[in-house]
Amino acid sequence: MKEGFRQAMAWLHTWAGLIFGWLLFAIFLTGTMSYFKPEITRWSQPEVPVRALDIPLALGKAQDYLQRNAGDAPNWFIQLPDERTPGITVGWRGGDGQRGFIRKTLDAATGAEVPTRETRGGDFFYRFHFQLEMPYPWGRWLATFAALMMLVGLVTGIITHKKIFKEFFTFRPGKGQRLWLDGHNAIGVLVLPFHLMISYSSLVIFMYMVMPAPILAGYDNQDSYFNEVFGGRDLVAASGEKAPMQALPQLYARLLAQAPEAKISWLEIQRPGDRNAQVLFVPDGRERVSVQRGAGWRFNGADGSLAWSARPESVAGIVSGGFYGLHMASFAGPLLRWLYFFFGLAGTAVIGTGLVMWLGKRQVKHARSGTQPFELRLVEVLNIASMSGLILAVAGFFWANRLLPVGLEGRAQWEVNLFFGVWLASLLHALLRPGRRAWGEQLALAALAWTALPLLNGLTTGQGLNHSIPGGDWAMAGFDLTVFGCGLLFAWTAAKMLREPLPTARRTPKAARTPHLEAETN
Amino acid sequence: MLAIALFAFAGCAALCLAMDKHFSELLGRKPRPGQTLVLRLAGWLLLALALAAAVRHAGWAIGLAELFGLLMASLCLWVFALPYRPRWLLGLAALSLVLAPFSALGLI
Repeated sequence: MKEGFRQAMAWLHTWAGLIFGWLLFAIFLTGTMSYFKPEITRWSQPEVPVRALDIPLALGKAQDYLQRNAGDAPNWFIQLPDERTPGITVGWRGGDGQRGFIRKTLDAATGAEVPTRETRGGDFFYRFHFQLEMPYPWGRWLATFAALMMLVGLVTGIITHKKIFKEFFTFRPGKGQRLWLDGHNAIGVLVLPFHLMISYSSLVIFMYMVMPAPILAGYDNQDSYFNEVFGGRDLVAASGEKAPMQALPQLYARLLAQAPEAKISWLEIQRPGDRNAQVLFVPDGRERVSVQRGAGWRFNGADGSLAWSARPESVAGIVSGGFYGLHMASFAGPLLRWLYFFFGLAGTAVIGTGLVMWLGKRQVKHARSGTQPFELRLVEVLNIASMSGLILAVAGFFWANRLLPVGLEGRAQWEVNLFFGVWLASLLHALLRPGRRAWGEQLALAALAWTALPLLNGLTTGQGLNHSIPGGDWAMAGFDLTVFGCGLLFAWTAAKMLREPLPTARRTPKAARTPHLEAETN
Repeated sequence: MLAIALFAFAGCAALCLAMDKHFSELLGRKPRPGQTLVLRLAGWLLLALALAAAVRHAGWAIGLAELFGLLMASLCLWVFALPYRPRWLLGLAALSLVLAPFSALGLI
């Protein structure tokens, strides 16, 4: 019975891992990149100047700009600059913009509109990792189901892995399949708390979508549930009576007098210029793990009195916000953020090594005949396209960001098109070339594309490493150094792939000598 | 934060050495009876100290996140470098053990 159960779990681990592995690899890689979403956006919009942080100054400039350009709008949004985002982003609902929403980036010191290139920047990878560029709600459904399969893969993996504690510290390189299995197990086990947290929390974040029955049973619709749980953010009614609004820097000073520790991330101003105007200050919440939705201070814009501040939290709210915060790492400082990034890469590597092993194990059996059945070739092509292809596609996005003309119509969409275009091209390339060659060639091209990005940045923007490092611009320099390091890693793997493989005759007896390998992981 | 990392890394090393197989591989001799038990207790004690340092540094919520992050990082460094540079790792673990208390007391 026990062996039967374990074998059933191994079967599930193998097949759930294979079918969802390709998609999960992309979700994990782009999700990992999202820990540096502001930095990627910053790199993608090099026009935005970095200024010394001065929140009251930025608030005043933003208010001036909106007063001049959006005085009649029903509401304004102001995203304040912080250590990671240099510019002010202002937005408002206006009649003629796309979907009625206009967004501008302002210089944090002068309040002047910065003519930035049109790009989705880090937001593209962030959105992709849970929406997959598919129409709502299908992308979210598919990504969430894949996350559920990740959780299934983790639990079945734990059950299948017989010697978690006995082989806790074990990693034996240089032995073919054994190396992959040890690597897969070690990254899986050592970083297990992260893997479990990230998969489970993603389900918690979308629980209203995954398990809607309790909400639909108790409420007329999901909106009334959200209004009750997180507090309504309905637009206040306009009185029709004009009243000059208090200066935002003054309201900010009043807020700081009440809550000296508060760090404000963004503001919403409803009915600016009306007697009923309201100003909502939303904190960044970085001092705690649990993200508090609906937190903030609301002032009456006309007389500057405090209208409302956050309600006490419920335990359920703290728990749910806790999973949200753990997933997003909103509380993490630079060091912890880098750890999150590396563990994200570890999750990606667990998926990748699993896919490689599924194939490698089955290819060994066909090694002597020299041909492989259609299904193995299919998995091989998809492995290559989903891993090295995605790495090329990401490089394609960044190259497009630097090389597409700034004035191009629909420029942001063209970057995305090129991302998918490169990805598709890598799939075609993988179809046409033998497996090992395809891996090697794609990784070699990726190595070139990634290591050359800092050079491209320097040539096209004048903010290359020779300027960013002496200038202490660590977001820009960090991006360039990171992609360069990744490029070196790809060069190393490409060199390994392009070198002649070990003669198969030497590997087969080894595989035969360790038959328990087969039983362990199928 | 350094203190958490040092205690966690030393703790990982002690727990690894507490296993017969790794002890004899790394130190080139069989552990004496009782020695593995001492190492195991020392390992858990060091992890408890890492927890204390983390909670003192950033409170329970963020502290636990920091502890888990640094512990997982320590384990990855230890396990993946062990086949290549065992002596360096042993040296690093000893150094961590020496420096950790000073770091925890704010002396470095």
